[in-house]
Amino acid sequence: MSERRFAASFLLPGGLWLLLLFLVPLGILLAISFGTTDDLGNAIYGWYPENYSRVFDSIYLPVLARSVGFALATVVLCLLIGYPVAYYIAVFGGRWKHVLVALVVLPFFVNYLVRTYAWIAMLGDEGLVNGALDTEIRFLNTPYAVIGGLVYGYLAFMLLPIYAALDRMDPSLIEAGKDLYGSRWQTFRHVTLPHTFQGVLAGTVLVFLPAVGDFVSAQLLGGPDEYMVGNLIQQQFFAAEDWPFGAALTVVMMLFLLVWMIMYLRAAAREAAVA
Amino acid sequence: MSVEAAPAPAAQSPPRRRVKQFDRPRFLRVFTAVFYLFLFAPIVLVVLFSFNSTRSLQNFEGFSLRWYERFFESESLRDSLIASVEIALITMVVATILGTMLAYGLVRARTRWSGTANVLMLVPLVTPEIVAGASALLLFTQIGLQLSLTTIVLGHITFSISYVTVVVRGRLASLGPEVENAALDLGATRLQTFRLVTLPELWPAILAAGLLVFALSFDDFVMSFFTTGESPQPLPVRIWSAIRFGVTPTINAIGSFMLAVSMLAIGLALLLPRLLGRRESGLGVLIGREGA
Repeated sequence: MSERRFAASFLLPGGLWLLLLFLVPLGILLAISFGTTDDLGNAIYGWYPENYSRVFDSIYLPVLARSVGFALATVVLCLLIGYPVAYYIAVFGGRWKHVLVALVVLPFFVNYLVRTYAWIAMLGDEGLVNGALDTEIRFLNTPYAVIGGLVYGYLAFMLLPIYAALDRMDPSLIEAGKDLYGSRWQTFRHVTLPHTFQGVLAGTVLVFLPAVGDFVSAQLLGGPDEYMVGNLIQQQFFAAEDWPFGAALTVVMMLFLLVWMIMYLRAAAREAAVA
Repeated sequence: MSVEAAPAPAAQSPPRRRVKQFDRPRFLRVFTAVFYLFLFAPIVLVVLFSFNSTRSLQNFEGFSLRWYERFFESESLRDSLIASVEIALITMVVATILGTMLAYGLVRARTRWSGTANVLMLVPLVTPEIVAGASALLLFTQIGLQLSLTTIVLGHITFSISYVTVVVRGRLASLGPEVENAALDLGATRLQTFRLVTLPELWPAILAAGLLVFALSFDDFVMSFFTTGESPQPLPVRIWSAIRFGVTPTINAIGSFMLAVSMLAIGLALLLPRLLGRRESGLGVLIGREGA
């Protein structure tokens, strides 16, 4: 057996698993999205493209637009918060670097639901903040709360790739920029930012993808006025029992995200080719 | 650390350090400090109030373990905890084996399809969980598989394999095939080479990946939510229903307990490579920065 054949045989179990439990289900999702339900509400196959025209119905269109809007706002906020912090850790972290990065990752391992729940306890009408300030500010059930929850949930995905890019960068480049009389801002714009652009791109996609599909933040921190496409999908599967329509919504979302995914995967492939 | 304090240690510290201290923008430091404050405030709150003696989520009125008692005395919550641990353990073992084999195949097979396969590997990682969850649910109902702990495990393994592969692949790529070739030249069979040469070098990465998968599976909500049966349901699904019925301090206790379990897994993942006498840090292994 040649070495290649030997190594290739290692691909079989995992490859087969992903084929049967990842790819085939996506195919079933696509098939069901053209189906309908029988009298008992069970999904049956068929040819009902109207599932898709329903997705773009005037009831659902604002929800789709809102999902994209919320996710974009989340990306921008994550970038504005994540970049300076990643920069501080990478450039000024010194021997605390690893600890500081570990501290960013740590909250990520507190269950997402529990973290979101903690914000309810803090920002609720009778929560900690309103109690401490003796105010009656309505934080929850607003778009801000939902976007805040998303930012809190996915920030690490933005910060880590940017940190990795900054850490790879030679710090003497920044010094060179300043030696050449670049101001702080000029050095950042012409030296640091272009060098870390790949990290920003990766972070953007890694935040945008899960944010669009999220339904926890909108459900717990918002209300029906803040619902995103994830909430719609979840409702179709669990409350309305209209699986074909839920599948159609999922397929539309997936197709929209595919552009972003391909962008990310191509960048990853390029990086792999360089390495 | 501040600018005023800079002159004093300047005498001993190397000049490079002094320049950095001087150039450190103060607003960035404050910004970073505020960032960490916001990052940890909710978590500290959850842990603190899990020990509160009253129901209040506003005032801490004394230390007590009553919410933990409530958690562990409830038979159904105990069943959920056991279910969550079982799911995470099985997921860890199966996903680690499959993911490691996949990584080895991807790095060493070098066929025409390697490049494509290497990239396709990443697709499950960037697919929103709700898509994977909904399609898994459809698969299981279509083939008539009763939703249960088994279906959750199947779903969890599916999204975990890629994490393992990415972590182990990074380690393998930095290893190079030279040592393996040397073993082959010395008459070892391919399986012996894999077992005696490759695997020992990979252990830190494999262990780290396995513990990461344990934590991911233990905390997972979306996939569990879509693939869970009636009972027992894993803890995150229970938390979801509990939150929707209102805020209760028992959630703080469950959340803090889950945090402790995940921390244990991640702490081990970070420490094990060190304990095994490797130079690289576990963090480097996990975020794939080693050898870069």
